[in-house]
Amino acid sequence: MIVFEFIINAISVGSLYALIALGLVIIYGILKMVNFAYGELIMVGGYLLYLVGANTNIPWLIAAVIAVVGAMVVSYLTELVAFRKVREKSLTALLITTFAVSTLLQNSALIIISPRAKAVALPQIFSTTITIFNITTSMRNILTIVVSIAMLVGLTFLFRNTILGIALRAAADDFQMTRMLGVPANLVISSAFVLSGAIAGVVSLFWIGRTASVTPTIGLGPLLIAFVATVIGGMRSLVGAVVGGFVYGLIFSFIGVLLPQVLLDYREAFMFLIVILILLLRPEGLVRVKYAQERVG
Amino acid sequence: MLQVENLQVRYGAITALRDISLKVEEGELVALIGVNGAGKTTTISAIAGIVKAVNGSINFRGHSLIGKSPEVILRMGIAVVPERRHIFPSLTVEENLRLGAFSRHNRSEYRSDLDETFTLFPILKERFRQIGGTLSGGEQQQLAIARSLMAHPQLLMLDEPSLGLAPTLVDQIFTLIITLRSRGTTILLVEQNVERTLEIADRLYLLNTGRVEMEGSPEQLKSHAAIKDVYLGEGKAGGNQL
Amino acid sequence: MKRARLIAWLSRYSTIVILAVPILLVAAFTELIAGTLLIRLVTAMFVSMIIVLGMQVFMGNSGILAWAHVGFMGIGAYVAALCSMTPHIKEIAIPQVYPFLLNLQLPFWLSLLVGSAIAALVAAVISYPLMRLSDAAAAITSFALLIIIHAVLVHWDRVTNGPRTLFGIEEYTTLWISVSGAILMLILAYFFKESSLGLRLRASREDYHAASAMGINITQVRYLSFVVSAAIAGFGGGLFAHYITSFTPDAFYLIETFNVLAMLVVGGPLGISGAVIGTILVTVAREGVRAVENTINLNHLLPFEVIGLTEVFLATVLILSLILRPQGIMGSRELRWKPKQSSGEANELDAQPASE
Repeated sequence: MIVFEFIINAISVGSLYALIALGLVIIYGILKMVNFAYGELIMVGGYLLYLVGANTNIPWLIAAVIAVVGAMVVSYLTELVAFRKVREKSLTALLITTFAVSTLLQNSALIIISPRAKAVALPQIFSTTITIFNITTSMRNILTIVVSIAMLVGLTFLFRNTILGIALRAAADDFQMTRMLGVPANLVISSAFVLSGAIAGVVSLFWIGRTASVTPTIGLGPLLIAFVATVIGGMRSLVGAVVGGFVYGLIFSFIGVLLPQVLLDYREAFMFLIVILILLLRPEGLVRVKYAQERVG
Repeated sequence: MLQVENLQVRYGAITALRDISLKVEEGELVALIGVNGAGKTTTISAIAGIVKAVNGSINFRGHSLIGKSPEVILRMGIAVVPERRHIFPSLTVEENLRLGAFSRHNRSEYRSDLDETFTLFPILKERFRQIGGTLSGGEQQQLAIARSLMAHPQLLMLDEPSLGLAPTLVDQIFTLIITLRSRGTTILLVEQNVERTLEIADRLYLLNTGRVEMEGSPEQLKSHAAIKDVYLGEGKAGGNQL
Repeated sequence: MKRARLIAWLSRYSTIVILAVPILLVAAFTELIAGTLLIRLVTAMFVSMIIVLGMQVFMGNSGILAWAHVGFMGIGAYVAALCSMTPHIKEIAIPQVYPFLLNLQLPFWLSLLVGSAIAALVAAVISYPLMRLSDAAAAITSFALLIIIHAVLVHWDRVTNGPRTLFGIEEYTTLWISVSGAILMLILAYFFKESSLGLRLRASREDYHAASAMGINITQVRYLSFVVSAAIAGFGGGLFAHYITSFTPDAFYLIETFNVLAMLVVGGPLGISGAVIGTILVTVAREGVRAVENTINLNHLLPFEVIGLTEVFLATVLILSLILRPQGIMGSRELRWKPKQSSGEANELDAQPASE
């Protein structure tokens, strides 16, 4: 039964990682921009959860909604205030801007709240366990899986069936052409940021749910996960990001059990070594696109 | 309908268009011809709002297009099918077409537009659920044109629609252009296939190094010595490329 | 003719003098009138300048983001510290240190060189395949490299004392040593940029395809500049270690990366003048805000402690700078002495190699 418990745990980690990766790739696909401030959106969600929980009697579920909406708003604002102005310049300038925005948000949290970790109140359900068919697991794992899958299904629907979703995918294929069909550039980009923020907000609920605390640097972990996952799965496609997230979550869980402690210390280093190797040897990642890509130049 | 005057465009230090003036009247089929680098694609790109004009004016139905973004220009009624087609390779044919209708909001109209598309491009009905990137070159070209038509443009700009296609497909594309024209669509066409273009165009502009070298009806251009030598050979059939 | 060529040469290399003289004046002035605190600040500024110049060598000339740079600074710092520490202190500071490292002790200057050489060696061994990549892939791999270096520094207890503070390093880096180092690296970076290698690298930055069509082996020129850049970072790291005297691996991670990037980008990464001016301006601004922050906290002007104001300020400046002047204050220009052009000939010669 231990094996099943382990598997559920691994799936929970995998589905959360898939979501984390998807939030980063939505932006990357369209702007070819790696958003270093992505982790800070998760931080924003975490702090909103903390602020609402510590200062009001609002139920957790509503606090969660506030956290998600907050992350969406901040994501939208970072684009509006900073990235939009640098977008047309060089990619390097854009990447540095995202890094600067990351630093800005982190240190704003330092000033406004505190450099020390803040405890976040969680609903009862996060700490209960459940036993089905003799398999005991935490409700948090089940919730993570259910909500992540629901998010993925919802996003799939959005991307497949709504005109906005189709426009977002088209923009990732060929941004200029999308505009030539009458789709406003800013609409596409802003929507991508809002979606990315929404995903980060949902992720923050479960990420905070694991430690029940939030610090200004909490976003670095998810950011690194997103990097590894997207590179494994392939940065070009949304499906690739999800697959990469799952694969990484599973690898991560297995490594945790299998590797001796000495090597476990270097787990991160190993993961990033894999990232480098994949980028060198198979830059398109695990998920190949089904058609020949025209290479420019 | 469309009036371009003294248009000048630069890429960095390179001047791509020195001085282009042209006009397109309602219902006309106007073609731009000239060697590679003459500025045909740049002219179209400038009208579509993809590249910025340094100087000159572009007016469409009395409104200036200078400084307008591609999405606004499309909504004003000008659609462009760019060189190398630029269909969305990871989207299905259906999704490509739906996006073509982005600027229109009427759902029932979309249905009837689709039916019309299928009569013009029967192959797209077969390929409806297929991923765009898996289509053949000719099919992609048809999809690209069909997609632009979904927006009901008043002016359709086609950039090298026959480029890279097999001769039978080239025939198909030119037949299609004639059909579109007979249905009343105003067309601005860029083509390397001068011989075929001379057959179908109402008027032509010969571009050279960023300038309009000659303008006139097909008959006028045909009699021009330079056109004969460079584009048509010595009456040799099929000698249409540079 | 000869004279014109001489003038052109002088004009071309006048940048070094124009930058070095004020640097020396600042140092002398600091030495003469300032107190210990200010002397330490200025010393730190010149150490930063070396790191920034090192980053300029790769990033400025190749146009590729170099996240791992500060990691090489860390390697230089740890190696130089290990080399210069006495066995006695090493035994206390790094309880688990390898025996062969324990008895190693080198003079300060040699420690610096070994630190620089090891940083360059690490770069030389691992970076060649990475130089094929551009844009986002390059940014992610070099970021991954920073994470890996950091992870190794944090976990290699027997060399670095792990995540704990490494202490007991002698304070060898005086004001004059850091100034000399900065001027030396300034000259190196300038000659690198003006060398044929630097020119080829800049060509690849301007137009990748044209440069490779001209027969430039872009991977190779990037690689060589990356190694030089790592060597400079390692050298600066060694000076940093002997300035700060105790540190943890976190000193060579994201915060420092942000600092160095801010200095380089605000000044202008394309030139040496930009790197120098950026370092000075950002240091002055940062210390100014830090002084305000400290005053607020020491005098309890606000009901809570203000932490992070400096970084918020710097990040805002960096974002504004990227929006308003994405090429930095200097752009692609260098500070340069331009003689009054008496003849067209001199003019032509001047314009040829100098202007970019």
